[in-house]
Parts: sequence; C-alpha cells; structure tokens
Amino acid sequence: MSLRRRQLLQALGVGAASTLLKGSIARAGGTRAPPRVVLYVQPHGHLPRTWTMDVPGGPSDRVAERALVGLAPEEFSPTLRPLHPFRDRLLAIEGLSHTSALADIAAVMRTGGDLNNHQIGVADVLTGDRALQRQGTYCTGGARTIDQELAVRLAAPGRFDSRVYGSDYIPNSVVSPFSYLGAGKATPMVQDPRTAFADLLGYTPPKAAPTSRAELLRGMRGSVLDTAAREYELLAPQLGAEGRQKLEDHRALVRELEVSLGSLGAVPKCELTFDGSGHTVRQFMRLVRLAFACDLTRVVAFQAPVPQCPELGYPADATFHGYAHASIAGATSCGQTFTPTAEKAMIDLDVWHASHVAYLLQQLDSVVEGDGTLLDHTVVVWLTELATGTHEHNDAHVLLAGGCNGFFDTGRYVRYPRNQPNPLANKPRTGPAHNRLLVSLMQAMGQPDTTFGMTDAVAADGTPLSFRGPLTELLRRA
Amino acid sequence: MSLTRSPAAAAALLGLACVAYAGCYSADAGQAPTAASADPPPAVGPAPLRRLSNVEYLNALRDLFPAPDLVLPPLPGDVPVAGFENAAEAQQASDVRVARYEAIANQYAEAVTARLVDVGALVGCADWATDELAAQCAEAFLTRTGRRVFRRPLTGAEKERFSTRFLAWRSAIDFSGAVQLTLSAMLQSPQFLYRAEPLPHDAAARAIVPVPPFALASRLSFFLWESTPDDTLLDAAELGHLQTDAELRAQAERMLRDPRARRTLWGFHRQWLGLDRILLDEHTQRTTEVDPAWTASTPGSAAKESQLFVENVLFQGGSFRDLFTSRRAWVNGDMARVYGLPAPADANAWTETTLPAGERAGLFTRAAFLAGFSHRGATSPPVRGNGIQLRLLCQLPVSPPPGVDLSQPAAAPNDGPKTNRALFEDRTRPAACQSCHTGLNGFGFGLEKYDAAGHFHTTESGLPIDARGTIHGTDVDGAFDGGVELSLALAGSAVVHHCATERLVRFALGRAPVDAEQSAVDALAKRFTESGGDLRALLLAVTTSSTFRMQRGEAP
Repeated sequence: MSLRRRQLLQALGVGAASTLLKGSIARAGGTRAPPRVVLYVQPHGHLPRTWTMDVPGGPSDRVAERALVGLAPEEFSPTLRPLHPFRDRLLAIEGLSHTSALADIAAVMRTGGDLNNHQIGVADVLTGDRALQRQGTYCTGGARTIDQELAVRLAAPGRFDSRVYGSDYIPNSVVSPFSYLGAGKATPMVQDPRTAFADLLGYTPPKAAPTSRAELLRGMRGSVLDTAAREYELLAPQLGAEGRQKLEDHRALVRELEVSLGSLGAVPKCELTFDGSGHTVRQFMRLVRLAFACDLTRVVAFQAPVPQCPELGYPADATFHGYAHASIAGATSCGQTFTPTAEKAMIDLDVWHASHVAYLLQQLDSVVEGDGTLLDHTVVVWLTELATGTHEHNDAHVLLAGGCNGFFDTGRYVRYPRNQPNPLANKPRTGPAHNRLLVSLMQAMGQPDTTFGMTDAVAADGTPLSFRGPLTELLRRA
Repeated sequence: MSLTRSPAAAAALLGLACVAYAGCYSADAGQAPTAASADPPPAVGPAPLRRLSNVEYLNALRDLFPAPDLVLPPLPGDVPVAGFENAAEAQQASDVRVARYEAIANQYAEAVTARLVDVGALVGCADWATDELAAQCAEAFLTRTGRRVFRRPLTGAEKERFSTRFLAWRSAIDFSGAVQLTLSAMLQSPQFLYRAEPLPHDAAARAIVPVPPFALASRLSFFLWESTPDDTLLDAAELGHLQTDAELRAQAERMLRDPRARRTLWGFHRQWLGLDRILLDEHTQRTTEVDPAWTASTPGSAAKESQLFVENVLFQGGSFRDLFTSRRAWVNGDMARVYGLPAPADANAWTETTLPAGERAGLFTRAAFLAGFSHRGATSPPVRGNGIQLRLLCQLPVSPPPGVDLSQPAAAPNDGPKTNRALFEDRTRPAACQSCHTGLNGFGFGLEKYDAAGHFHTTESGLPIDARGTIHGTDVDGAFDGGVELSLALAGSAVVHHCATERLVRFALGRAPVDAEQSAVDALAKRFTESGGDLRALLLAVTTSSTFRMQRGEAP
C-alpha cells in the first residue's frame, strides 16, 4: 500500500489521532474476548544460567514450582528481571526439550542429509516436526508451523489469518525462516513496520457514500478483486492437481481481501495510527497491539532480529553467533572454549530481548478489553530455536505471558525434571518434548488437538517417547 | 549421468525416477502427437504452474508500462531453491503477497490512466463519447492491451467477462475509470501473475505434447529476458512462427541481441553464484583492520562491478570461460580502491579498466565473491570453499556435524602471530573434520591472498601468505597456487560446465531437471564444454531442446 493511499485514508478520517486505543471487540456486547497468540522467537538460544531461577526445596526428579507474585525484582533471575512488573501474568518454564529436533537429527544421521543445527532448529521450533531435506540444497521447514495452523483454523473474513513480522535471521543465507505455510514454503514475513502498518490499513473499508471520483474508484476496489477472483475460479479447473491447488489458494486470499473490505464496516471504529519512533522491534510490538485491539488478526509470529554487536556495546568484528558458542562454562561446543566476555554478551542479548518482550506486555496491557486487558486474553510465547547458545536442543526455557483467558495458570515458575532418555546417544537426559507445549498452545486457542507435529519417537536406548497431550502442569486447574 | 553426483544420490534419483517415469511414456500417452514415433522417449518433464518471480513481475510491469516511475511497496521475498528465485515448488500465495499485488496493480493502473492521451494509447481509440463508441473502444482495449498483459489474445469468453465489467464501471464512473479498474483487475488475474500451460483438452494425462505457441513465447521471454514477451514475439506466436528449430532460433537470437538479455545474463549468474550475497546486512561493515575505508555503499559497488563485468563481457560476445579468466573490469572509486588502482577523477563514474595481472582473473578473484563469502573481520576458507563446491560444482551441501565449533579461530595470546590459514589448519586437523575440509580448505586456502574485503595482499601479521591449494572432486583435480591459477583450472573443467548447464536448465524451467531429462542435460553440457564455454550457443541450445519446447501433463 502506498504512502499516498495511507495519506488519502487519513485525510478521509480513518486514522484520526488518538492516544488511547479502546478495545473494539469486548465493547460490542460484553462477549468473551477471543484468545490471541504472539510468538516471539529469539535466535541463538538462551543462556540458561541467568535465565533460570531457584526453586527452594523443589525436587529435581519431579516437576517443581515457585510462585512469582511475592518476589522482589532482585529475586528474579537477571534475564527475567525486566518482566518483573508483569509477574502475576508470567509462566516461566524451565527444562523443555526440542525432542523432535533431536529425533530428526538421529534419523538424518542414519540416512544422511543436512545436519546444521540452526537449520534443524528453525525447522523444528514451531513445527515440532522433522525438517524437509531437499535435493542439492539445505534442509528447511518440513511442515506447517503452529502460527500458520492456527491462522487456518481461526480464519475469518475481516481480518488477516496471521501476521508474520520480523527480520531475516541471517538474510539469504543457509538459515531458513521460522514460519512455514507448509513443507518448504516459508511464510512471507514483513520486515518493515511502516509497510506492516500499511497492510493493516489496507483492510479498512472504503467510504460508504463516495462523493469524489477518487472515492468512486476506491469504492470499486471490491468489485475489481471480485473480477480477479473469478478468473482464478475459471482457470483453476483447467490445471493439474498441483497448479489447481496453487490457484485455489490464491483465489481464497483474493476473496478474503474482498470480503474484508465490506465486513469491517460492522466493527466499531478503531483508531489506526502509526508511530515510527524507537527501535524497529518496538514499532512492531506496537503494531501487534494495534492489530489485536482492532481485531485485524489473532495470530502474530515475530522473528526477533539478531542485533549487530555494536548495538549492545560489543566490537563490530564480533557476532552474537560467535559469542553463543563460547557462552557456557564447562560446556564444550566442540573445542570452543568458554570466555566470560561471550557469556556476558549472551546475558546482555537475553536481557535485550526480555526488555522488548516486557514492552510488548506493557502495550497489550494498555488496552482495556472486557473485564481485563488485551494481555489477559493473549498468550505471548518467548522462545528460541536452539535451546542454548551452545547449539543444544535440550534445556530449552520458555516464557509464557498473559494466560490466554485464564487457560494458563500464571504467576509461577515451573521447572521440569530432566528424566527422559535422549534420542541421541551419549547426550544428557531431557525434559518433556516442546511438542506438548505446542499442544497446550493449540488448546489455549480453543483447538481440540492432542498432538502437534511429531507424536512419538524412540530414545537412543530404545525407550519409546511420547509427545502427546498438553503440559498439564501449566494449565489452570478446573 | 552427471559427473558430480555421488553414488548415494544417484541411487536416490533412480528410485525417484521409477516413480516419476511410471506411466509417463506408456500406452496412455499414445494419443500424444509426438509420442508415437519418438524413440527413445523424449527428455521431457512436468510443466508446473509458475508464478512470476518478483524480478520477473517487476520487469514485466516496467516493460508493459515504461513511463511511470512509481515507488512500490515491497513484495514478500521469493524463496530461493538452490539459489534460484523462480522455483515453482517454493511458490505459495499469501495474504501479504495478494495485498501487495493489489496495491501495485492499483498504483500502476492509476498512473498509466492519469492522462487522457495515455488512455487513448492503451486503448488504441481516440473517441469513446457514445455508448456505441465506448463499447468498440473497450473491445479494442481488451484486444490490444489485453494481449500484452495476458501474453496471448484473450479468448472470446474472457473478452465478454472483462467487457461486461468494463461497461458497468464506465456507467458508474467514466471511460478512463473503467480502463483503470479493468487494467487493475487484469494485473491481479492469474493470466498475468501465473504462467499456466494447460494441456489441450484432447490430450491424455501425462501425455507429452508441444508447449503451445503463446506459452512457448512466454517461456522464451522469461528465460532470455526475465520478463514478458514483446509484440514481435507475440506476433510470431500468433502467426505460428515458433515451430521449427530455425524459427525458434531466429527469435532467440533476436532476443539475445536485445538489451533485455542483459537481465538474464546477470540474473542467472547472480542467483547461481550468489553474487548478491555481498548485499546482506552482515557486509555493510568491515573491521578497520580489514578495510578502514569500507562504507555502507561498498557492497553495492562490489555487486555492481560484478554485474557490469558479467553483462558487458557476455553481452559483447565473451564466453563463459572469460568469467573465470578475464581481467576486464568496470570500476568506480570504491572498487578502484579495493583493487589497488589509481583513484579515478570521478569516484561515482564507472569506467573500464584492466585489473593487475597475477592478482585477478574473473569473478572468483573479485570483491563480490571474495567479500560476500567472508566475514566482517576475517576470511573463512571453508565458507569460500563451500561457495565453490555448492554453487560452481553443484556438489551436495555438507553441514558441519552437530555441536562443532563454527567460530572464527584466533591465535592464542602466547602463541605469537599466525596466519588465518594456519589457524584453520589447526582447527580442522582432526580426522573427522578432514573428510570434508580436505576439499573445502583445498579451495579456500588458495584464495587466502584476498582478504575479507577482497584486497590482494601477500603478508598477514608480518607472515608470508601461503596460497597453495588443491582442487578435489572434479575432472581438473590437482595443486594450484592462488586464485588466478584456480580460476584458470576451473575454467576448463567439464564438471563446472555441467553444473552451469544443469543450473541454467533449472533457471529456464523453474524446477530441477527430472531423471528423464538428465541425458539431455548431459548432452547440452558436453557441447557446452566442447565449445569452450560458448554461453550464447548454450542458451540457444536450451531454447530448442525438447525439454524446453515440450511438456508432460500432470496426473489429473
């Protein structure tokens, strides 16, 4: 959408200035607010030492938990400290395992293929499934990711199925994106906040009673889309199965855009203004608030950037990827030696992300909706594609925030025991598979699923592993 | 059989071939016009529905409507497969893409109908004052502009559909408005955004049939121009003048003389060899030790230098071999500095020059490759080696085993200075590393006299640089010393020529060649090698090959 069009729309009064966004959904008759989800995916893994918190007296062989609500800021771990103001809405989870990635690695080690940990990690983190090995090039996402599955399930006219924002991890390099429409098909990601805003604005309806020629033309937008959509309908049946499917997918999206133009008129007016100040991440976090408050989508995946080192005060010739390898004392990343600088850099990186996540929570909490705020009706998931900087897939730590209409039992720190055998030989025992977190998220969003991605695997010692069912310890008890 | 394929991959392909081949040339194909007499079966693969890549889409718009200079919203990126952005298998519509297509279509339609004189030119009519004249002009518009946008004449049914809409919009707004809205709808239609090649109604499933003339015209233009056909090409299709080898050849030769062919010459090499890797964010900086004068604009200069080199050398009749051996260069101030040449009077002007003998020869000794496959503060011989193996030799990718240290090695504080080469030798010494690093380092070490910015230097931390390397995994295996010798050796390699051919076929078809096409690819590669790298001849040979001219229907 051009800048010009946005100015036109603003001139028409669509974007009148307002500092406070009023929730548009719950106001319309006091109905229960819909659940929303934001996935904040951080590359390069967390540093466990400063993410985790003690659970005084907690057992190590069973699930242990600690209440967060009564803790002072200094009692929070350094990484989670920026999130302290929202402690009653947090659910910190220690000790999950990307077991499906480990099982994938075990399988690829037998058959041959691309074993780059980053590739496997990004392919797995939101699919919980095996990567797609491709002929003559690197592996990539092998299944639809949870954000896109939810997008399909929650699709409705008048809003985007999902929004995928963020930065290329390592642009155009071997490393693939995190979100996939299907095997090998990356979900387009909008990298520029201004463009993302224009997209949201593009869903706003034309004026009901046009007076100028320009408005008349604009009022025909829906009929132009209808004309195009019909061409897809007529051409698709002439093609083979694969081409037909491609055109049908395209047609559905054109129809959706068309229908959206008309249906939004029924939604109470919602203020759309763009604020281009601050870090790009924060601009995106504000757009998430805006999109949710105006119910323009219910699913957002955010691929967080890896900052250049000088942004956090580290030398220009260093990279956080390089630091990640050397960030854990005692752990060997195949010969890579631990350096205190590397550890400090990775702590700073975690805190940097934590502050952005806190900003997102603050944004969502600023919108009153029904009997609470947008944050109460949303689950924000802060997770990483590799579990640790040392490129391991076990000991993954995930933060949930918001509770999603009370589905999750927040205000707690939950530690899972590492008592499951590993699919890889000579690797430590792990916590529960993160597939079960994905199942929990599907259920939080009102879906009946009891599995997501891989359902079972076999440990290196032959023990069967099950990835089925939600992580019941996270859920509010009935 | 490909020279580069490993036995395991060959076996895997063979397995695949059995599936793909079953029924593709069997009794049910008997009705196909060419199938009955052909023996052995023609080298033909499927014709998947292709969407225009972003580059193709934008080129097509510019070629259709040269006048407006519009600032367009960014399209979501194409997902490259083996480097190529036009891979049908990775193309999937999304709401973002559909929204962008709408915005861009509206922008273009508005811009090109802004003045009445422009409307007249689009329509081919001057007077549409009455209902009757307006209907005639609508018909003229659909005939004239419709054929250019859809790359074929509209069918009767299409004309009826669009003219019904056109006249309704004219009633609601006015004639110009109707042209604008109709054009916007056409630019969002599958006939423009996609390249459908439906089989004739009477063809059996999996039948092998010639690609119909207008679809073939599109194949030609998107292959040779990365853009839509021009009127001459559409006329040839309409008149049935794209049937014989000679006719096809004549068109292709004409097209290769057109400046639009420069797009493909660059576009293919850019995607194949990753020559735009230098434009990634990570290359906007170099450490002061590597290059204190490197600025955010240097990567753009490096890419442009490669582009001018590839385009000028090949468009002016140069060969594929020249891409490895030529010292011709077009440089601005930035690049003159990197190559150690005297600063030009105008730092922004691009002028032709000759790079120093013994230091430079072709693409693999120049900044876009050397710096694009380096890190900010140091070179990485394995990264450069991997670039050569994966892209230039079409070897299957190898990833480091899980858990290995991928950081840049540095000399221990008490060890005294070491060359980068020595550090990598230490790092990759374990036997487990050597199975891959013998090959990777063999190439990469040979390029160590070029630093992470692409400067040529002979010492590092006061130590002389050893740039002896070894070529592995080709038909020209053996020792060499430095990038010039390496380039010269690779320039004569049949494996390199085969890889280029396979990638060019991929680029032409929007998919990897299937097994039935391998022998055709092998034959093209053989001729390409024997011609001494006559790229123009290869492009012509691809356009007249059965792989390019024929298609096999999908199973219904």
